[in-house]
Amino acid sequence: MRILLVEDDVETAGYVRQGLKEAGHFVTLATDGREGLMRSAGEEWDLLIVDRMLPGLDGIGLVRTLRGGGIDWPVLFLTTLGGIDDRVAGLNAGADDYLVKPFAFSELAARVTALGRRPRIALPETRLTVADLEVDLINRIVKRGGERIELQPREYRLLQFLMRHAGQVVTRTMLLERVWDLHFDPHTNVVESHISRLRTKIDRGAALTMIHTVRGAGYCLRANS
Amino acid sequence: MTVLYGVPTVLGYLLLFGIVFWSTRHIMELQIDESVAGEVAEIRAAAPADTIPQLRDVVESLIARSPDFFYLLQDGGGKVIAGNLPPMQPIAGVQQWARPGRHHHDGATGIRGQGSLMGSGVYLFVGLNTAQLHEMGEAVIHAFLWGLALAILFALAGGAATSFWVLRRIEAVSETSRDIVRGDLQRRIPERGTRDEFDHLAASLNSMLDRIQTLMEGLRQVSNDIAHDLRTPLTRLRQRLELARHSADAPCSVGDVIEPAIRDVDAILETFGALLRIAQIECGTRRAGFSRVELGDVLRTVIELYQSALDEAGRTLDLTIDEAPPVRGDRELLIQLFANLLDNALRHAGQDARIALEVGRRGERIAVSVADTGPGIPGEFRQKVLHRFFRLEGSRSTPGSGLGLSLAHAIAALHDSELALEDERPGLRVTVLLQPWSGVSAVQCLA
Repeated sequence: MRILLVEDDVETAGYVRQGLKEAGHFVTLATDGREGLMRSAGEEWDLLIVDRMLPGLDGIGLVRTLRGGGIDWPVLFLTTLGGIDDRVAGLNAGADDYLVKPFAFSELAARVTALGRRPRIALPETRLTVADLEVDLINRIVKRGGERIELQPREYRLLQFLMRHAGQVVTRTMLLERVWDLHFDPHTNVVESHISRLRTKIDRGAALTMIHTVRGAGYCLRANS
Repeated sequence: MTVLYGVPTVLGYLLLFGIVFWSTRHIMELQIDESVAGEVAEIRAAAPADTIPQLRDVVESLIARSPDFFYLLQDGGGKVIAGNLPPMQPIAGVQQWARPGRHHHDGATGIRGQGSLMGSGVYLFVGLNTAQLHEMGEAVIHAFLWGLALAILFALAGGAATSFWVLRRIEAVSETSRDIVRGDLQRRIPERGTRDEFDHLAASLNSMLDRIQTLMEGLRQVSNDIAHDLRTPLTRLRQRLELARHSADAPCSVGDVIEPAIRDVDAILETFGALLRIAQIECGTRRAGFSRVELGDVLRTVIELYQSALDEAGRTLDLTIDEAPPVRGDRELLIQLFANLLDNALRHAGQDARIALEVGRRGERIAVSVADTGPGIPGEFRQKVLHRFFRLEGSRSTPGSGLGLSLAHAIAALHDSELALEDERPGLRVTVLLQPWSGVSAVQCLA
């Protein structure tokens, strides 16, 4: 992916850039808001990673200007402002995702991947398929190897999210945000319990395990082990 | 202050004096004019033909009879025919002038009277001594001067007394504030119990000082707690790193050191995050965004979130929901509040404890409580567990930052409720009282 990183802190910029390069992305750095706006408006990008506190023009202003000009590259906000209202302000400005510093690199990598694969124009999908696992989105029917699996509504949403990001690592926080719409981290490992319950239903009796735990990062649904 | 008080008093007094003096004088003049007019009428009645000899006789007899009056009868050539006044310009109407008269009081007498032209140049003037007028005026001035002196005296004395009293009370306030600035935070402004404005002021200032002191103590407490509680994981982290440096050549992989080190740092960061969140909630700005929240939906979300974790641990959640009407609040924070309470029960109540979630009406409020049959919290610690970082001895070994209940408490306080901790014998019951949503507050919210 071609990623524009707008970040004024040299150390963070270096760390993010290095990590993303290793993950196979092309990363360009802009160190202030104005430069970020110039470059983001003037070139094609797959993703913008924007710090919220920037010299020149702040992140919110940058994204708002871009969106106002009809430019819709996906935007991920990076910020030290972890306030409940700050997140809402960021998303309202037109950002697609929001990550509070300090973050684990695996969290950033998972979100970057998820944003990058997001279809630009949302086509109405009717069916999700990964190997022999199928989800009929219209009738809400889940089948594995042709056999129907009964799921609770939340399990269905969880599976749907995992399947839309098949092959990608999704983190615990991402699941809490997208499946439950929660923006805090419960101490009890609730996500893990839900995953393990879903895993029992999906993988039971099948030769191939599909829902994998990625140590230190999150979970991944994929057909191969 | 005394002068400020005195000046308007004196000015008011002078104004009053002016009005009284002027109106008294006016009345006296009218009286003189009336007497003179009466006398003139009498003369004319006594001399119906208006002839000089007739008039002369009348005037001369009157001079003998009424010593207070002055008369002048002169012919067309200005020659005095009769009377006790020197000749004058024959002008009709009321005239007044100062003249040393017969009544030599202090020379300041004059004459006020009325002149009448009788035809063929004959002029009749009848006047009265104005000594009375002057005397009256003097008496008034005299009385007023005394009064003024007294008024000034009283004004000054009153002003001095008032300002002394007021200034002393103000001084008491500023003295107290100086003491407080110097560091004696316990000082308070004395209240007299007189229920006047000064007492009100003192009471308001004192309650403000109480609040400031509470906040400052809270702040100090928190800084101490942070310093103390973060020291432990930081020390552990440091030890771990140091150990790794010493055993660099020992057969332990980098991952063995780095993994736990990152976990330590994550725990520290999590603690910071929770502290920030509590601070943000406590500052109260979220209250502005309060709206109608479906309590049933909030509880369903929380229960659903925890259901599989409960099942996995082989625990059941007893639900008693009499009614779950919409409440006034912040959906996200309420979810976090109940999640924290369930978290707390799950982690501290022990393996065999039952957990119950109950919703019911309590007076005007909607009471939501999470109860467990675990070991509970001893009475003396029940308030303390709401403080940041406070953890019961027995729970130090379980994971957690000691901020869960503080956060829940902050959220409850934002919703104008206490986080009531009660003994469940055995166990613990934590209750939050929420405000039901009403149409009235909806209007207030929109406005």
